[in-house]
Amino acid sequence: MKALVIVGHGSHLNEDSSLPVYEHAERIRQTGEYDEVVECFWKEEPSMRHVLDMVESDDVYVVPAFISEGYFTQQVIPRELGLAGPITHKGDKTIRYAGPLGTYEGMADVILERTDDLMRGKETSGRTALVLLGHGTDLNKNSSGVIYWNAGRIRERGVYDLVEVGFLDQEPEIGEVVTSVEAENVILIPVFIAEGWHTRETIPEDLGLSGEVTEREDRTIFYGAPVGPHPSMAALISARAREMEEKFVHGAR
Amino acid sequence: MSTAPVKRTSIPNVAAESRAAFAAWVDAHPDGRHFGQVLIRPESSGGYRLCHAEDEGATGLQLYENPRAAREIAKLTGDGEYRPLKSAPNLRRGWALLAADAGDLVTAMNGLYPSAVVHWYLYREGSLDITNYRENAARQSGIYKRVQRLTDQGVQNAAKACCEDAVCLKKTLWDVDEEIPLEMNRGEGEIPCPEPCSVFVSFARRVRLFERENKRDLDAIGLSPSEKEDLSALVEAAATGEVVMAREAEFEKPLNERRMRYRRLTLIPKLRPPVANE
Ligand code: SF4
Repeated sequence: MKALVIVGHGSHLNEDSSLPVYEHAERIRQTGEYDEVVECFWKEEPSMRHVLDMVESDDVYVVPAFISEGYFTQQVIPRELGLAGPITHKGDKTIRYAGPLGTYEGMADVILERTDDLMRGKETSGRTALVLLGHGTDLNKNSSGVIYWNAGRIRERGVYDLVEVGFLDQEPEIGEVVTSVEAENVILIPVFIAEGWHTRETIPEDLGLSGEVTEREDRTIFYGAPVGPHPSMAALISARAREMEEKFVHGAR
Repeated sequence: MSTAPVKRTSIPNVAAESRAAFAAWVDAHPDGRHFGQVLIRPESSGGYRLCHAEDEGATGLQLYENPRAAREIAKLTGDGEYRPLKSAPNLRRGWALLAADAGDLVTAMNGLYPSAVVHWYLYREGSLDITNYRENAARQSGIYKRVQRLTDQGVQNAAKACCEDAVCLKKTLWDVDEEIPLEMNRGEGEIPCPEPCSVFVSFARRVRLFERENKRDLDAIGLSPSEKEDLSALVEAAATGEVVMAREAEFEKPLNERRMRYRRLTLIPKLRPPVANE
């Protein structure tokens, strides 16, 4: 039997935090690809500490529902799940631990799908810039790296006149980017895993956004939903696990 | 530990064993079993009917047949507040859930009380691993690293404030460490708690911040800044005629129930010193 375990951050205060994980798990469950699809969290139950006892399968794939490689994917998750590396044997179970989602091939496609959802039926004229918004932090370079990396991938496709990045907690600061980017249309997509305080309150407030579409004197700002809850992320999670399977099970040992 | 991919499919694992054992435990009691705040009754059809224990015999309950609906049921309190701790005694009422078989029963139970069935089983079998506070704290990093410095008395008070049945129905099995047992009333429920949970660790962090403050910031009558803040918030709220409590895990807010329970243990003795000679 084969199980997929999706690890989310979760929250003690915000019920929306874990929602994308549950929704993606249900989508993957419906595909029938796994005998079991189980969710676990850092801040919610079931905790990572206990989830493996709830899994009946011997072949277990663990995919972190996190955007970037960093503190959680490298320290917290392996420690709490008791993982030794990409492959861990525990009793009869073989646990394969996949990387985070933001650095995966298909991420750029999900971002573009999110953009299409936002722009569907909206007329624009003039130059259009796509701005990817990341959390960013001084502590961890990977957190911004993954945003730059995806921006690069999308830039290569030449769909938008400009593809820029902006952050909440580091340079370039998002408000600055949105104001100064040379385009009449600015599409802003938060590369976050879930809706929350930032996407709903601090970002619209700090940028003076009045909803999905905000008209400024010299530009129109289109503000999209975060990428994480997009239904296509479910396929990305499965693909992440499948990659582990191909690499370690079907590939050369 | 062998790394060869030996398949021992004939030997079921704890997840499968616990499912069978739990169903058998329920089946043995046609009148129903209580687990947390839930009443589980075996049906003559071979399935199970779950409802809030206080809704036994009630009519007009909203009926669910998908075991995954259990998670939605458990998400919010009757007042619509988010429930970060599923073992808190605030499961909402007004629903009934039909589980077709033992698999659905356990899926539903894992929605209502995540990982409780497997812990219940391991505890009964005498093989539940217990992780004491110090061992758990040693693992913490980042903003939680400071819980390592929480004093033994701080752990005792935090457990009394955070884990007793009034606020969590799990039976607290862990101790401060191997030598120092918890002094709290561990609870009578069926669901074992083998290790401080993330809500507890977050609360322990808050208590540690209180402890640190105590040392250097006491005023002339021995009150700390945060104690005064809590007292002020309480007086202000009560003066409006309605004390609106902070959310369950909002430990940074004065009017949090667990924070107030901690104050009852540590602040009340300061305000009302015990009278000498009984
Ligand atoms: S640590 Fe305390 S609050 Fe958390 S589940 Fe255990 S008994 Fe309940």
